[in-house]
Amino acid sequence: MTDATGRPDIGERQPSFREMRASGVSKSYGATVALEHADIALRAGEVHALLGENGAGKSTLVRIFTGAVIPDRGEMQLHGETYAPRSILEARQREVATAFQELSLVPNLTVAQNFLLPSLARPGRPLISARQVIARGADILERHALRRIDPAARVGDLPLAERQRIEIARAIENAGRVLILDEPTASLAETDWLFEQIGKARARGVAILYISHRLAEVREICTSATVLRNGRSIGTVGLGSASDGDIFEMMVGHRVEHARRPGRVAGTASAPRLAAEDLAGHGLHGVSFQLGEGEILGVAALEGQGQRGLFRVLAGLETPTGGGIRVDGKAAAYRTPRAALRCGSGISYLPEERKTEGILAGLSAATNVVLPFLPRVGRAGLIGRRDEERAALPAAQNVALSPRYLGFAIGDLSGGNQQKALMARTLATGARTLLLFDPTRGVDVGTKESIYAAIRAFAEGGGSVLFYSSELPEIVQLADRCLVLYGGQVFGELEGADIAEQKLVAAMIGHGTRPPAGHSSVSSAGPVHAVAESAR
Amino acid sequence: MSDIATTSAAALPAARSGPAPRHRLWRLTQGAGLILGLYVLLYALYAYQQPRALDAYAIAALMNNTAPLALAAAGQTLVVLSRGFDLSIAGVISLCNVVLAVYPLEGPGGALVSMLLCLAIGGAVGAVNGWLVAYLRLQSIAATLATMIICQGIALVILNAPGGYVSEWIADELTGRLWGAVPVSGLAVAAVVGLWLLVRRTDYGVALYAIGADEPAAALSGVNVRRTRFLTFVMAGMLYGLAGLMLSAQTATGNPNSGAPLLLLSFAAVALGGTSLSGGRGGLFASVMGAATLTLLQKVLFSSGVSSFYTGLFQGVVLIVAVVFSGLLTRIGERK
Repeated sequence: MTDATGRPDIGERQPSFREMRASGVSKSYGATVALEHADIALRAGEVHALLGENGAGKSTLVRIFTGAVIPDRGEMQLHGETYAPRSILEARQREVATAFQELSLVPNLTVAQNFLLPSLARPGRPLISARQVIARGADILERHALRRIDPAARVGDLPLAERQRIEIARAIENAGRVLILDEPTASLAETDWLFEQIGKARARGVAILYISHRLAEVREICTSATVLRNGRSIGTVGLGSASDGDIFEMMVGHRVEHARRPGRVAGTASAPRLAAEDLAGHGLHGVSFQLGEGEILGVAALEGQGQRGLFRVLAGLETPTGGGIRVDGKAAAYRTPRAALRCGSGISYLPEERKTEGILAGLSAATNVVLPFLPRVGRAGLIGRRDEERAALPAAQNVALSPRYLGFAIGDLSGGNQQKALMARTLATGARTLLLFDPTRGVDVGTKESIYAAIRAFAEGGGSVLFYSSELPEIVQLADRCLVLYGGQVFGELEGADIAEQKLVAAMIGHGTRPPAGHSSVSSAGPVHAVAESAR
Repeated sequence: MSDIATTSAAALPAARSGPAPRHRLWRLTQGAGLILGLYVLLYALYAYQQPRALDAYAIAALMNNTAPLALAAAGQTLVVLSRGFDLSIAGVISLCNVVLAVYPLEGPGGALVSMLLCLAIGGAVGAVNGWLVAYLRLQSIAATLATMIICQGIALVILNAPGGYVSEWIADELTGRLWGAVPVSGLAVAAVVGLWLLVRRTDYGVALYAIGADEPAAALSGVNVRRTRFLTFVMAGMLYGLAGLMLSAQTATGNPNSGAPLLLLSFAAVALGGTSLSGGRGGLFASVMGAATLTLLQKVLFSSGVSSFYTGLFQGVVLIVAVVFSGLLTRIGERK
C-alpha cells in the first residue's frame, strides 16, 4: 500500500486498452447457483451498466469483483494481468473499489474515520492524530463536493442520503482503476451530484460499473449495458441502439405467455375480505387496495419498495403509523399475528425467511404444520405423536406433501418440502385470507407447481390471497389482479390479460405504465398516489 | 452546480450538516463522566462516615481491594467492546493465583518472573479463546466457558484445596506504598489505563470499536476482523493475568476458586461503566471506575454496619439504577 487514501496520480493515466475483463465466472452455494456464467468487460473511462431482475446474480458478481466472494470458476483480468482478489483489501490494492448497496459504513465512527479505515495512522506512526484524521477527512469531502458534511460527525447520526454519498465518495477515493456502484441512487433524491462525481472519475480513466434498476438513469449516464438473467450474462448492448423493449426482453427472457387461470368474475357484492386504506410507515407512503372473496391479488415490486413492510403490517407484525385495515368490512386493529388470525375470517401469513421466521428446525414436519391449532389436536391437553400426524395429513395433501415426511425433523427435509409444510401450515390455520410473501422462493419447479395448485384451489373455494413474488412469471400465471409497488406507493395496477411481464417490468422500474381503463391516467414522470382508490 | 458549491461554501461553517451540537448532559454519558460522579459521591459519603478514609493508608487499602476487579473488568471491557463475552476470566485468575502460591519466587527478580508468568498464562488462554472465536467462529460464550472450565480444572490439579503462600516480596511490595504515599496497586491500574489511552489511538483501537458496532460493514471497509478479535482476546487474557497477580498479592495465599467471584462482578463493572454489552460503545476507564464503585460500595455498606449478606443486594440495585439512568441520559441526549 502506497498511500492510505489509495488515490492514484491523476496525470499519468491515459485511456488506452486498459480494462477489467471477467469470463466464465461462476459461484454456487451448496446446491444454489448464485452465478452460473458471467462474461463482462469494463473499459477504462467508460460507464457500463449491469442490468437484471432480482436474483439474477448482480450482487454476487459485485462481491466477486470486490474480493468479498471467491468464484468457483472463471477468470478475471485487470489491465492485462490476472485479477483474483481474495479480500477487500487485496481488491483495494489493485485499485478496485465498491460502493455497496447496503452501505459499508461503521455507524459509531466519524465520517473521517470511515474514509480512512482500516489504516488511520500515517505509515510508520503507531498513533493516530485525531486532528490529522479530521483534516484528511475534510480534504476528501472537499474533493467530492461534500463540504457541507462535518468530517467529525458520527456516521450513524447522519441521514441516509448523506451516508450513501459518503459511501460513494469513499469508493471513488479508493478506485483508481475500477469503480463499482451498486444501486447508488437507492436513497438519493437527485442524481446531479452523483453524475458529476462519476464524470470526474471517468475523466481520470476509471472503469465504472453502474448497477441500477432505474433505466432512465442508466440511459443518462451509461454507454453500454450487460444483462444478467438467472445467473447468466445474456449479452452486452450499446445503450444508444437498444430500445427499452429490447432491454426488458433481455431481462425477462421470453415473450411466451404462461397458461393463465381463467379470468374470474370480479366485483362481488359483499364487502372485501381485506382492505387497506392509506397505510403508512415501515416503508409505505399511503397504500390502499381491496382484496375480494376468491381473488388472487399479486404484488410486484423491485427489492425494497415497501412490499416487506406492507406484508408485515397486514400480518400484524408491525403497527402502521397511519391509515387503517378493514377485515370483512369492519375496521380492524390487531398487533400480533395471533390476533390477525382471529380477526374476522382470519388472516394467515407465510413469512419471507423460511429458515428464521418459518420453520422450527428441530421439530417434526407434522408439528410444524399443526402449530397454529395445537390445542385442538390433543386429547385432554395431551398430544400424542400420531395425533399431530393425523391432524396434519389433510393439509399436507393439499400441497402434495408426501405423508411419509410428516414424521421427520423439518430441518432435515429439502427446501421444497419445508416450503410445502409451511404452506400447509398457512392453509391449515383455517384463515380465509392468506398473505404469501414470495411463496416459491428458492424451490424447484415441481414444488412450485404444487404450491400454485394449492393457491388456486384455495381461491376457487372462496379464499382470498395476497401474494408478493420476486418472479414475474409467477405473478403472470397466478394473479387475477396485480399491484405494482414503487417507492412505498401503489404505482400501477394491472388486471386480467394486462398482466404481462414486460408491462410489469416497466411499471416496476417506475417507468410509465398505461393504467387499466377507468383509472385516472398515470404519468410517466413519477409515482402516483393510491391508484387503487379510484378503482370503483 | 459550481455556483451552488461556492455559495454554500460562503455560508460555512454554520451550514455543515450533521448532528446538532451535543448537549452537555449527553456528553456526560459518553465516557466515564457519570460513573466518576457516582464514585465521588460515594467517596464523600464514605469520608463522612469514616474520617480516616482520606488517610494514605486507607486509600492504599481501598486501591488494593479494587485493583483485581478493576484489571479484570478492564480486560472484559476489551472483549465486550468487540461484541463478545469472556468467561475465561475466572479460570485465568484462579490459575495464576495457584501458580503463584505453589511456586513462590522471592525477591524483586522473582516478582518480575512471576508477573511475566501471569501475563504468559493469560496471553496463552487468550490466544486459545481468540483462535476458537475469531478463526473457528465459535460463539464467544461457548468457547470461553470451555477454557474457563479447563483452567479451573488445571488450577485444581496444581492446588486441590486453599493453601500455599505467595512470595513475601509480592505480598508486601505490591500492596504497599511508594514513598509512603502512592499505592503500587493504584499505579498498576493507572498504567493499564494509560496504555489503553494509547491503544485507543491506534488502528487497532479504531478497528475494535468498528467490529463491535457493525462487523460486516467493518469487514467491507477493509478491517481485518479476525486479527482484531484475536488480539482482543490475547490482551484481555493478559489483563486477567495481571488481575490474578494483584489478587494473589492481596490475599497472599492460593485458592483454586479465587477467580470465580470476579466473573460476574467484572460484567457488573463493565455495565456500570456504561459500556454497551452489545459492543462498540464504552471504554476501559469507565469499567475501571465501575469496578472501583462496586468495591467502594462494599466498604461503605460495611462501615454503615450493614450485614455483608446484603452487599450483593445493594450492588445489584446500584447496577440497575445506573444502567437505567445512563440509558435515560443517552435517550435525552439523542433527542436533542
